[in-house]
Amino acid sequence: MLHKIIKTTALSGALLFSISIAQAGSLENLERERAIAIETMLSPSLKAEERLDRAMISKRRLVDLERMVIRDKKLAQNNTPIVRTAFENYNLTFLVHASTEANKTLLDHWLEEIGVSTHSLGTARIGRR
Amino acid sequence: MIDKNVSLWRDRGILPLVQVLPLLAILMTGVAMPTSNAIAASPNWSPKISERLIKLPSVHLKRAIDSDFKDSTLANAIGDTADEVSAKTKTVSELKEAMERAEGSLATELRHQALVEKQNLIKLMGTRQDLKKKHLKTKVRLYKRLLRKANNKTGVQNASSAELKENQAKARNRFKRTLTDVDMKLFRSSTTTESKYSKDYIKNSSAIDRLASAINSHPMNSLPEIDGRVVGKADFLRQLVAGAESELAILNQEESILGYMAKLVALDAMALSEGLDAENFNEEIEGDESRPGASDKIDLFVS
Repeated sequence: MLHKIIKTTALSGALLFSISIAQAGSLENLERERAIAIETMLSPSLKAEERLDRAMISKRRLVDLERMVIRDKKLAQNNTPIVRTAFENYNLTFLVHASTEANKTLLDHWLEEIGVSTHSLGTARIGRR
Repeated sequence: MIDKNVSLWRDRGILPLVQVLPLLAILMTGVAMPTSNAIAASPNWSPKISERLIKLPSVHLKRAIDSDFKDSTLANAIGDTADEVSAKTKTVSELKEAMERAEGSLATELRHQALVEKQNLIKLMGTRQDLKKKHLKTKVRLYKRLLRKANNKTGVQNASSAELKENQAKARNRFKRTLTDVDMKLFRSSTTTESKYSKDYIKNSSAIDRLASAINSHPMNSLPEIDGRVVGKADFLRQLVAGAESELAILNQEESILGYMAKLVALDAMALSEGLDAENFNEEIEGDESRPGASDKIDLFVS
């Protein structure tokens, strides 16, 4: 009887484990896509129209990836610096959701979060370090 | 010649006295006898703690442990001893009833038999207690180890893990609060449509909700309760440890009852031997004149 129970539990454990494997890396995927999105938005080589198209594609992907990360319950068990930093900075990690919530464009929201604003740029001086 | 002496002892009521004396000696040595006997037989139960056992839900955990114990040699030994004890109890009560009806030397013989059976009963009860104690001690040890493991699983959460969980919970709450608003802004525009992931997620999530509610209401998934209150695994294990330890305490108390019973049997045996002594002493005084002298025994030495 004990063996039967143990076998059944092992099976369910294996199933749960396989699910967790399928969800592993959701945060890394989000980080990669976000980096691409920011790179696209800041790229000087792109034309405005092209930038907008690419940014839209990235935004759609980011929406899904952000939702995957927030729904990934296994992330809390994975106490690594990447995971800790991600949840400490909601506004930067969940960029699309936070920017929509704040009624700002993706780029404006990101620049503001990293401390670059119109005012700070306007008062900036060119100098040598 | 020996047979002649034995029949002479029986006639004079000394035989029961001779049989009672070793019984007395055994009883005086104490009730420790059954312990050594029980250890010599050594029926055993050695449950193994595996990671899978720890993961079992609390209710199933207890059932699994109980079921494992039932298959052990220790459980069989306890069952067998319990049967023997009830049979022996029946014998003693039958002897007691017969003793009340009997008279004279038959009554003495029955008293002696009752004492012997009582002594055997005490031994058996002692053996059963030792086996029960062994079972309970193993159970307490097992529950404590499980409790330690359960605490390790939940209790080792350090400050940074706690902070991470808190941040995650906060993020999830904020996400939930703003999800509808974000959906409205993102997907109601003509340029952006809902992704396949979002559609499939909504579809699956309703299926998951239905399954989860079925799992939650499943009778085999019921959480353990103490006094009608649902408790966690650690609390449940602590309750099991406390239960097993209280049973052990009761067993220890019963051990002293056995000690008193043994003492009473010893006193009964002493009373029986004293009574027989007095009886024989009176007979000796009365028959002193007819007692054969030393010269009558010369035939034993001269051929």
